[in-house]
Amino acid sequence: MKPSVSLVTQIALLAIISFGGVPGVLPDLREFVVNANGWLTDRDFANCFAIVQAVPGPNMILMMSFIGWQVGGFPVAVASALVTFVPPCALAYTAFGFWDRFRDAAWQQRVRRGLAPVTIGLIVAGGYVMARTGSGWVSLAVTAAAVALMLATRINPLLLVAAGGALGAAGAL
Amino acid sequence: MSSALNETDVARPLVTLGALFAAFLKVSMYGFGGPIVWARRIIVEERGWLGDAEFADILSFCQFLPGPNVVSVTVCIGAKFRGPAGALAALAGFILIPWTVGFVLGGLLLSYAQAPLLQGILRGIAAVAAGLIIATGIRLLLPHRSRPVALVFTALAFIGLAILRLHLLIVVLALVPVSIALARPPHVPAR
Repeated sequence: MKPSVSLVTQIALLAIISFGGVPGVLPDLREFVVNANGWLTDRDFANCFAIVQAVPGPNMILMMSFIGWQVGGFPVAVASALVTFVPPCALAYTAFGFWDRFRDAAWQQRVRRGLAPVTIGLIVAGGYVMARTGSGWVSLAVTAAAVALMLATRINPLLLVAAGGALGAAGAL
Repeated sequence: MSSALNETDVARPLVTLGALFAAFLKVSMYGFGGPIVWARRIIVEERGWLGDAEFADILSFCQFLPGPNVVSVTVCIGAKFRGPAGALAALAGFILIPWTVGFVLGGLLLSYAQAPLLQGILRGIAAVAAGLIIATGIRLLLPHRSRPVALVFTALAFIGLAILRLHLLIVVLALVPVSIALARPPHVPAR
């Protein structure tokens, strides 16, 4: 299979199983493009992740676009974006009508309470794996500080992103 | 969050397709790192289209759908007010202009990604962004903190994916049915 077709297929698959959000499948995507196929280096992958945090727009759709762009140019970037959100959106639209009709049913409350803890674990794991691609203890300390400030204060996340960029520019990481 | 679900919903305001497009354009352009924060601020506080309870309900639904969560929230809120046309208007606002802007800016940054200064900046941003994701997860966990079973399943999902490096689908299929089976409804239903 051509790399571009193989990549878009993989992104489509991961997007439709990305319960809890796309960050949860980033470890799988990294395994596929970095380790299994060698299309990107670990550093390229981390660069894509960092850049989409630093620009406006839909982060995860842009992340898939940049991975697609690096593998097969602009058409693959657009295809990667589309498969990331079109099938999940169609599913969301269909499921929401059904969900909204039964919002007070006991079974729905039960499903919500059973599913949420698992999806939360996947989100935290996604952040953990991204933190592990960083370089050493300073990087982990910055991640830990960001977690602490986000939880303990009402600080604007933009300020944290800017502070992280400034620390990096100063050569701290 | 779940305790807020019983609040009375606000009266349904008239929301035009153009207003949906504009609101979600703003959410997407502002939403560095944590778009959910901006979605709530703009839809609930600024526009007053939904109460906190309804917003939390839609968010918790979208949290366990696959795909980018905020995009699903966008589609559901659009659909709630204006049906299929509303879903498309909100989605178009969220994606079209912000994706183009982000792709151009990000593409420029990527072509200079090997410059040492930019490398340093990106390493710093990546470390913070990982922290924002972890903090978001912890925030979402807070409403469940009094339920030991929930904490166990969060820990198992984390260990499966991050430590054991199991495939996501294996983790989901192994844990979700058991987690739902063990979850109790918040109160005993009257029927």
